[in-house]
Amino acid sequence: MARIENRIRRLRFDAGEMTQKDLADRAGVTRQTILAIENGKYSPTLELAFRISHVFGVGLDEVFTFHDD
Amino acid sequence: MPLAEREALAGLITSLIVTALFVWRLLGQHDAGLFDGPDALQVWSRSVLILIGWSLGIAIVVHVAFAILHSILTGEKPGGRRDERDRDIDRRALTGAWYLLSFGLLAVIISLAFGDTAFNAMNMVLALCILSEAFRDAAKLVLYRRSA
Repeated sequence: MARIENRIRRLRFDAGEMTQKDLADRAGVTRQTILAIENGKYSPTLELAFRISHVFGVGLDEVFTFHDD
Repeated sequence: MPLAEREALAGLITSLIVTALFVWRLLGQHDAGLFDGPDALQVWSRSVLILIGWSLGIAIVVHVAFAILHSILTGEKPGGRRDERDRDIDRRALTGAWYLLSFGLLAVIISLAFGDTAFNAMNMVLALCILSEAFRDAAKLVLYRRSA
Protein backbone atom coordinates (compact mmCIF):
# COMPACT_ATOMS: atom_id res chain seq x y z
CA MET A 1 0.00 0.00 0.00
CA ALA A 2 1.36 3.40 -1.02
CA ARG A 3 1.82 6.12 1.55
CA ILE A 4 2.97 9.70 1.57
CA GLU A 5 5.19 10.98 4.37
CA ASN A 6 5.90 14.61 5.06
CA ARG A 7 8.37 16.77 6.93
CA ILE A 8 6.00 19.62 7.60
CA ARG A 9 6.48 19.61 11.36
CA ARG A 10 10.27 19.76 10.94
CA LEU A 11 10.06 22.48 8.30
CA ARG A 12 7.73 24.55 10.52
CA PHE A 13 10.20 24.30 13.37
CA ASP A 14 13.07 25.30 11.09
CA ALA A 15 11.05 28.24 9.79
CA GLY A 16 11.19 30.06 13.09
CA GLU A 17 8.78 27.72 14.89
CA MET A 18 5.93 28.58 12.57
CA THR A 19 2.60 27.53 14.07
CA GLN A 20 0.13 25.26 12.30
CA LYS A 21 -2.26 28.21 12.19
CA ASP A 22 0.33 30.39 10.44
CA LEU A 23 1.03 27.70 7.88
CA ALA A 24 -2.69 27.11 7.40
CA ASP A 25 -3.37 30.80 6.83
CA ARG A 26 -0.55 31.09 4.32
CA ALA A 27 -1.56 27.91 2.50
CA GLY A 28 -5.25 28.89 2.49
CA VAL A 29 -6.58 25.98 4.54
CA THR A 30 -7.70 25.35 8.11
CA ARG A 31 -5.40 24.48 10.98
CA GLN A 32 -7.17 21.12 11.26
CA THR A 33 -6.22 20.27 7.68
CA ILE A 34 -2.55 21.00 8.39
CA LEU A 35 -2.81 18.86 11.53
CA ALA A 36 -4.40 16.01 9.56
CA ILE A 37 -1.67 16.21 6.90
CA GLU A 38 1.13 16.22 9.50
CA ASN A 39 -0.39 13.17 11.20
CA GLY A 40 -0.71 11.34 7.90
CA LYS A 41 -4.49 11.25 8.19
CA TYR A 42 -5.12 13.26 5.04
CA SER A 43 -3.31 13.44 1.70
CA PRO A 44 -3.39 16.95 0.25
CA THR A 45 -4.22 17.68 -3.36
CA LEU A 46 -1.34 18.52 -5.64
CA GLU A 47 -2.26 22.18 -5.51
CA LEU A 48 -2.17 22.29 -1.73
CA ALA A 49 1.06 20.31 -1.65
CA PHE A 50 2.64 22.91 -3.94
CA ARG A 51 1.27 25.77 -1.83
CA ILE A 52 2.75 24.27 1.33
CA SER A 53 6.11 23.79 -0.39
CA HIS A 54 5.95 27.36 -1.63
CA VAL A 55 5.38 28.63 1.93
CA PHE A 56 8.62 26.98 3.02
CA GLY A 57 10.41 28.02 -0.16
CA VAL A 58 11.50 24.47 -0.95
CA GLY A 59 10.70 21.87 -3.59
CA LEU A 60 7.79 19.47 -3.33
CA ASP A 61 10.06 16.48 -2.75
CA GLU A 62 11.63 18.20 0.22
CA VAL A 63 8.25 18.34 1.92
CA PHE A 64 6.60 15.10 0.78
CA THR A 65 7.99 11.62 0.16
CA PHE A 66 6.15 8.85 -1.63
CA HIS A 67 6.60 5.25 -0.51
CA ASP A 68 5.24 2.42 -2.59
CA ASP A 69 5.28 -0.49 -0.13
CA MET B 1 -13.94 22.53 16.29
CA PRO B 2 -13.77 23.73 12.67
CA LEU B 3 -16.74 25.37 11.00
CA ALA B 4 -17.69 22.41 8.81
CA GLU B 5 -17.61 19.99 11.74
CA ARG B 6 -19.75 22.37 13.83
CA GLU B 7 -22.23 22.59 10.98
CA ALA B 8 -22.39 18.80 10.75
CA LEU B 9 -23.09 18.53 14.49
CA ALA B 10 -25.72 21.26 14.28
CA GLY B 11 -27.23 19.46 11.28
CA LEU B 12 -27.40 16.19 13.19
CA ILE B 13 -29.10 17.83 16.16
CA THR B 14 -31.51 19.54 13.77
CA SER B 15 -32.33 16.16 12.19
CA LEU B 16 -33.12 14.69 15.61
CA ILE B 17 -35.40 17.59 16.52
CA VAL B 18 -37.10 17.52 13.12
CA THR B 19 -37.63 13.75 13.34
CA ALA B 20 -39.24 14.11 16.74
CA LEU B 21 -41.42 16.93 15.40
CA PHE B 22 -42.52 14.98 12.34
CA VAL B 23 -43.28 11.83 14.34
CA TRP B 24 -45.21 13.76 17.01
CA ARG B 25 -47.24 15.77 14.53
CA LEU B 26 -48.01 13.07 11.98
CA LEU B 27 -48.75 10.41 14.60
CA GLY B 28 -51.06 12.84 16.36
CA GLN B 29 -52.91 13.53 13.13
CA HIS B 30 -53.06 9.82 12.36
CA ASP B 31 -54.53 9.08 15.81
CA ALA B 32 -57.09 11.84 15.24
CA GLY B 33 -58.18 10.06 12.07
CA LEU B 34 -57.14 12.83 9.71
CA PHE B 35 -55.50 10.33 7.36
CA ASP B 36 -58.48 7.95 7.15
CA GLY B 37 -60.40 9.67 4.38
CA PRO B 38 -60.00 9.36 0.60
CA ASP B 39 -57.90 12.53 0.56
CA ALA B 40 -55.40 11.12 3.09
CA LEU B 41 -52.37 11.75 0.88
CA GLN B 42 -53.41 15.33 0.24
CA VAL B 43 -53.85 16.03 3.97
CA TRP B 44 -50.56 14.29 4.69
CA SER B 45 -48.75 16.28 1.99
CA ARG B 46 -50.02 19.59 3.36
CA SER B 47 -48.88 18.61 6.86
CA VAL B 48 -45.46 17.66 5.56
CA LEU B 49 -45.08 20.96 3.67
CA ILE B 50 -45.89 22.89 6.87
CA LEU B 51 -43.44 20.73 8.81
CA ILE B 52 -40.75 21.41 6.22
CA GLY B 53 -41.26 25.10 6.83
CA TRP B 54 -40.90 24.58 10.60
CA SER B 55 -37.80 22.47 9.98
CA LEU B 56 -36.10 25.26 8.08
CA GLY B 57 -36.79 27.61 10.98
CA ILE B 58 -35.46 25.06 13.48
CA ALA B 59 -32.32 24.56 11.37
CA ILE B 60 -31.63 28.30 11.33
CA VAL B 61 -32.13 28.60 15.10
CA VAL B 62 -29.91 25.58 15.87
CA HIS B 63 -27.10 26.73 13.56
CA VAL B 64 -27.13 30.28 14.93
CA ALA B 65 -27.24 28.99 18.53
CA PHE B 66 -24.28 26.73 17.81
CA ALA B 67 -22.29 29.56 16.30
CA ILE B 68 -22.99 31.83 19.27
CA LEU B 69 -22.23 29.09 21.82
CA HIS B 70 -18.99 28.19 20.06
CA SER B 71 -17.98 31.84 19.95
CA ILE B 72 -18.69 32.28 23.68
CA LEU B 73 -16.90 29.08 24.73
CA THR B 74 -13.80 29.48 22.56
CA GLY B 75 -13.56 33.23 22.16
CA GLU B 76 -13.15 32.73 18.39
CA LYS B 77 -14.93 34.92 15.91
CA PRO B 78 -17.92 33.28 14.25
CA GLY B 79 -17.47 31.96 10.75
CA GLY B 80 -14.48 30.13 9.41
CA ARG B 81 -12.91 28.73 6.35
CA ARG B 82 -13.96 25.73 4.28
CA ASP B 83 -11.10 24.05 2.49
CA GLU B 84 -10.37 21.04 0.29
CA ARG B 85 -10.51 18.58 3.18
CA ASP B 86 -13.99 19.85 4.09
CA ARG B 87 -15.11 19.44 0.47
CA ASP B 88 -13.59 15.94 0.36
CA ILE B 89 -15.43 14.91 3.53
CA ASP B 90 -18.65 16.52 2.20
CA ARG B 91 -18.38 14.51 -0.98
CA ARG B 92 -17.74 11.21 0.79
CA ALA B 93 -20.57 11.73 3.27
CA LEU B 94 -22.95 12.76 0.48
CA THR B 95 -22.05 9.65 -1.52
CA GLY B 96 -22.92 7.44 1.45
CA ALA B 97 -26.21 9.29 1.98
CA TRP B 98 -27.01 8.94 -1.70
CA TYR B 99 -26.51 5.17 -1.56
CA LEU B 100 -28.73 4.96 1.53
CA LEU B 101 -31.47 6.97 -0.18
CA SER B 102 -31.19 5.00 -3.41
CA PHE B 103 -31.39 1.58 -1.82
CA GLY B 104 -34.12 2.79 0.49
CA LEU B 105 -36.20 4.00 -2.44
CA LEU B 106 -35.71 0.65 -4.09
CA ALA B 107 -36.99 -1.02 -0.93
CA VAL B 108 -40.05 1.26 -0.98
CA ILE B 109 -40.79 0.32 -4.59
CA ILE B 110 -40.44 -3.36 -3.71
CA SER B 111 -42.83 -2.92 -0.79
CA LEU B 112 -45.36 -1.30 -3.13
CA ALA B 113 -44.97 -4.19 -5.56
CA PHE B 114 -45.84 -6.53 -2.72
CA GLY B 115 -49.04 -4.67 -1.90
CA ASP B 116 -48.10 -1.94 0.54
CA THR B 117 -50.19 1.22 0.39
CA ALA B 118 -49.14 4.48 -1.23
CA PHE B 119 -49.64 6.20 2.13
CA ASN B 120 -47.16 3.90 3.84
CA ALA B 121 -44.78 4.30 0.92
CA MET B 122 -44.82 8.10 1.22
CA ASN B 123 -44.13 7.84 4.95
CA MET B 124 -41.18 5.58 4.19
CA VAL B 125 -39.88 8.04 1.59
CA LEU B 126 -40.16 10.86 4.14
CA ALA B 127 -38.33 8.78 6.75
CA LEU B 128 -35.62 7.97 4.20
CA CYS B 129 -35.09 11.64 3.39
CA ILE B 130 -34.65 12.53 7.06
CA LEU B 131 -32.49 9.45 7.68
CA SER B 132 -30.16 10.11 4.77
CA GLU B 133 -29.75 13.74 5.87
CA ALA B 134 -28.87 12.56 9.40
CA PHE B 135 -26.58 9.88 7.98
CA ARG B 136 -24.71 12.48 5.93
CA ASP B 137 -24.09 14.66 9.00
CA ALA B 138 -23.14 11.68 11.18
CA ALA B 139 -20.76 10.41 8.48
CA LYS B 140 -19.11 13.82 8.32
CA LEU B 141 -18.55 13.81 12.10
CA VAL B 142 -17.01 10.33 11.96
CA LEU B 143 -14.77 11.29 9.02
CA TYR B 144 -13.63 14.45 10.80
CA ARG B 145 -12.77 12.55 13.95
CA ARG B 146 -10.93 9.84 12.04
CA SER B 147 -8.87 12.31 10.05
CA ALA B 148 -8.02 14.61 12.96
